[in-house]
Amino acid sequence: MTNGMILLLMTALFLIFGYMGVPVAFALMAGVLVACALTPISMQSMIGQMFHGIDSEILLAVPFFLLVGELMTSADVTNRMIRLAQTMVGHMRGGLAQVVTLFSMFFAGISGSSTADVAVLSRTVAPEMTREGYDRAFTAALIACASTMANLIPPSIMAVVYGATGNVSIGGLFLAGIAPGIVVGIGLMIYSHFFGPVGLRKPRASLCEFADAVRASILPLMIPLIIMGGILTGWFTPTEAGMVASVYILLVLVPLLARGHIPNLPRDFVYTGLLYSIPLALVAAASAFGWMLAYLRGPDIVSGWIELVAGHDGRIIMLLLVLLFIVIGDFMDAVPAIIIFMPIVIKLNELGNINPLHMGVVLITTLVFGLITPPYGLSLLVASKFVGVAFSRAMFASLPIYVVFFVAIAFTVLFPDIVLYLPKLFLPESVGCFKNPSGSGYICPQ
Amino acid sequence: MAKPPLVVARHRHLKWRVLDPLEHVLMVLCGVSIAGFTCSVFLDVVTRTIGTPFLWLQLVTTGFFAWGVFIGMAVATRRIDHLNLVEITKRLRGSTRTFLETFNRLVILSVALAMVVFGIQNFMNDLGSFRAPSLIPLATYTASVPIAGALIVLFCIEQLVNGWRHGFEGPEDADDFAGIVK
Repeated sequence: MTNGMILLLMTALFLIFGYMGVPVAFALMAGVLVACALTPISMQSMIGQMFHGIDSEILLAVPFFLLVGELMTSADVTNRMIRLAQTMVGHMRGGLAQVVTLFSMFFAGISGSSTADVAVLSRTVAPEMTREGYDRAFTAALIACASTMANLIPPSIMAVVYGATGNVSIGGLFLAGIAPGIVVGIGLMIYSHFFGPVGLRKPRASLCEFADAVRASILPLMIPLIIMGGILTGWFTPTEAGMVASVYILLVLVPLLARGHIPNLPRDFVYTGLLYSIPLALVAAASAFGWMLAYLRGPDIVSGWIELVAGHDGRIIMLLLVLLFIVIGDFMDAVPAIIIFMPIVIKLNELGNINPLHMGVVLITTLVFGLITPPYGLSLLVASKFVGVAFSRAMFASLPIYVVFFVAIAFTVLFPDIVLYLPKLFLPESVGCFKNPSGSGYICPQ
Repeated sequence: MAKPPLVVARHRHLKWRVLDPLEHVLMVLCGVSIAGFTCSVFLDVVTRTIGTPFLWLQLVTTGFFAWGVFIGMAVATRRIDHLNLVEITKRLRGSTRTFLETFNRLVILSVALAMVVFGIQNFMNDLGSFRAPSLIPLATYTASVPIAGALIVLFCIEQLVNGWRHGFEGPEDADDFAGIVK
């Protein structure tokens, strides 16, 4: 059997098992083990690869950013940030819809988990939106779309996984994700203003109310500063920044703002312990799958196809990868998708001479779109479940909002100078710049 | 308000009560793992900042982390919390449902058995490999794989036997996310 046939068989088995209902991690490993039987690769080494796939200190950032989200959610500290968002945009047309978007931008700076964002908004703002007459389908669609920003605005779990597997600066990916995150946020606010329900018009909050809300939420809003400040100043790695943010919540936020929650902290740890193992089990299996894919020369085969169409034109290669990842994101979770396809992405980066950081942020922006598209739109599934509306209705309500994501993806592809401005400013090495040997400053690739 | 128990009530018809304490212990161990590496990363930063870094703390961190992932993988199997591409089986009834649920669990069982058999082989090999600087045998980390595999085998058999006896259908078919996102 040729490598191409084995590759096809392995992928087909994964998809068949996956769509029959086998959990993704096991479907991936089943495909890998069948491929092992047809190649000289031993099953023992592939089971070992599962362990090596997660044996990385960088991946430790994932549980920390999940822990931050879990602690903030269960301690109900997020209510203060919702109040702040209300005083800032609650008076606008579609006030609560604007609150959802603005809060998601705040929360994205704290947690890297879209699901945590959906959980918070579905429990707090969604019932109020229903009371004010917002269509439940629109509410679920908006919450799901807004929650995607958690994976764009730092800290982002997708960026951690992408950086860890693709050997790209995680700090650089965090900074580069800010621009598309803001584009999505502003896009959702514009959409809600012009095309969303009107809602109840409320008076603008007074300066005193705004100041009160700022004062109440100042401690939670320190978390993005701690995370990004620590990383940018070189004090912490992303993993340590996640730990410091968690410790800050445990030692400062909870005792000061939610003292009654202290007895529940062990339970938060237990649930986060389970919560982080689920995506990381996927990482373990996807790492074995990615290894086998590389062994079977999958990257060469796929890059050969793409080269036929795009030649060495970086922009067309990027466009084709975006199309590929839009399709992949519809059917697969982002974390295994990143790991499985990373060897192909690296190969194509070389082929098109594309900046790996730029490619990373483009693909992450594309994959977050997959969180709201059927059939595997995890955020939309969870939001429709929590808000209490059929998935199909939420999906139809989200269709017009897809435009915002198309704009964000196009912006990220077409304006690398804007997207990479912050990484170039704060972490020049992350975009391939190097120190000028004959003076101060950096020399950067054009 | 009473706290919900750590052993999830969903899919009760697929579980043996005798294994509930095991699920409880595994859940607690998940919490211990994340608490453990939070402490070790914290101490790592503190000792590094004060100029007396303990390099072995990084080994402790990765140990807690790896064990946490594989223990979580096992307990998620019992709680049916793993991520799926589709939840197609939940829409099926009768013999079709039984066939598909059985087939899916046999796939999981095969992978878990491979984790046990080849994981033990890796463990034996890794007894002779050591991690610097503390020279801890690599086997202390890689033992997590066959142990998780054995637990998954146990939970798969539990679900298969109970599914054949009571049917795989349950009231939670319409409630997929309650377990993962409380």
